[in-house]
Amino acid sequence: MTIVDGSDAPQVAVFAGGGLVAGLVLLVRGFSGYRMAIRISDTSTSRIASIAAGEVRVTGIVEPAEVLLVSSLQSVPCVYFRAAIRESRADDGDDAVLAEEHAVGFRIRDESGELRIFPRRARWDVPLRFDDRSSALDGEPAGLRPRTGSLHTLADPDRETQVAQLLGLDRASGGAPFTSGLGGTLPGVGLFHGTGSRQRRYSEARVEPGDTITVIGRALPFGDLSDPTEADLDDGEVLGADDPEVAASIAHARAAGTLLDDPDEAWGNAAIPGFGIGRPTRAPELDPAARPLDLAAASEAERFERTFDIAPEQLVLASAADARLLVAFGTPEAAAGRNETTFLIGLLGAVLAIGSAIALAFVVAAGIQA
Amino acid sequence: MTTDVLVAVFAVAVVGLIVGFLVLETYNAVVALALRIDKAWANIDVALKQRHDMLPALVSAVRGVMQFEQDVLTDVARARAAYSPTEPIPTQAAVSEATSSAIRSLFAVVEQYPELKSQRNVLDLQDEIERIESVIADRRELYNDQVYRHNTRIAQVPALFLAPIFRWQARDFFEARPEEHARPDTELRST
Repeated sequence: MTIVDGSDAPQVAVFAGGGLVAGLVLLVRGFSGYRMAIRISDTSTSRIASIAAGEVRVTGIVEPAEVLLVSSLQSVPCVYFRAAIRESRADDGDDAVLAEEHAVGFRIRDESGELRIFPRRARWDVPLRFDDRSSALDGEPAGLRPRTGSLHTLADPDRETQVAQLLGLDRASGGAPFTSGLGGTLPGVGLFHGTGSRQRRYSEARVEPGDTITVIGRALPFGDLSDPTEADLDDGEVLGADDPEVAASIAHARAAGTLLDDPDEAWGNAAIPGFGIGRPTRAPELDPAARPLDLAAASEAERFERTFDIAPEQLVLASAADARLLVAFGTPEAAAGRNETTFLIGLLGAVLAIGSAIALAFVVAAGIQA
Repeated sequence: MTTDVLVAVFAVAVVGLIVGFLVLETYNAVVALALRIDKAWANIDVALKQRHDMLPALVSAVRGVMQFEQDVLTDVARARAAYSPTEPIPTQAAVSEATSSAIRSLFAVVEQYPELKSQRNVLDLQDEIERIESVIADRRELYNDQVYRHNTRIAQVPALFLAPIFRWQARDFFEARPEEHARPDTELRST
């Protein structure tokens, strides 16, 4: 019995080889999903008010801390986003035009309290919220609203900034009112739009304020973070205090006695909560010729202290050397279910790989016989 | 070696990889669950110890005014004296429940003494003990949930097949057994 016609053999071999590789890739992803599902479902949810140091799982609503990110493809304020643009090629392949992933520190709130999350080195399990394609007939997808201003925006903007946002002045002026002073990338409007007949796929996953998430990580005192500033951002390119060169510089400074432990001593007025936005919570030391600053009102001061002045003994959630922070979208059940589905797809991938191997064997056998 | 044999070897290798992965992950998962239970218990123990250490201060703060409420104070002292971290978990749960009950009775009586309610130190102690009681309740819930997950895991496939090999056994919940409810070990001890 002839199973593979000689003329079809090269095509069957290509499909079988592709199926074999794809099946094994799905299987490996399935293993990863199984591990994540186990980690989520085997850890009990702690109430934030009674949390103890060590590995914990908390579930709650996302609240912003000092700043928010502005997502690349839909310009939505968020605490995390992963955006990608891929462009099709003539040979059925595709090229990555844009691949961005950023996170910023935030709070999670349950019915008992709130907890600060430091997302550096976190693993994010977040499904896509925007997934669309451009086409020659319809042009760009309707939901595409590329970011034109800064990557960062204030989580709690003052009145002038809110007015500017409402009037759209940030777009007209290149994002100046949104600029947080933390920098950011401006990919360029042209980058977002396709050229000619090459189809583009746009995808974006986000975690926004108000979303329900599940976080598994190490609860530790804020004072134990090696570098709180770096831990508050995850841009994939920042060197932290655990970098050997940075650690050596810190050790050298400490040995030389030039490393200051007290923020007031190190930063002066900049260590006063609210000073950077012109509403300090206590009187700064200014040059007599400088314009005096109005002190923040009691309610503002309380908010600034809560936002910018975290007590060293306060527990926060962050990655540890032996356990990366895991941030999963949705309730624990939803997150575990999503990863169990990935595992089942991985098992189907194994079946695909075996089937492809059988097909490949027939092609090879036919070739040998011929 | 023919291609048929190669395909068979590949198929067996893939299936073996999946089975090996499941065995390894199940073993690691059950070990991690057991360690989480130990940690959850240690966190309860810390709170029980805090409460144990605070009770004498509360009793001495209210003793002078509550001359005619010796039964309530004695109950608290008995419950405190019964605390023993080396006892089995169900016994400790029974003692803990008896202590919580005695503390609730004491607080109810304190409400009847306006002169006590106006004392700053009594109010502070009351607030702190109530906070610890709340922490104990939350951590007890967390511990029992972790035990539930462990016991469920080792009763399900594939861990069910591995349990006899690795001698995994169900763990005790932090709750008093019926006989402990009937006779909590609250004999007065010198601690």
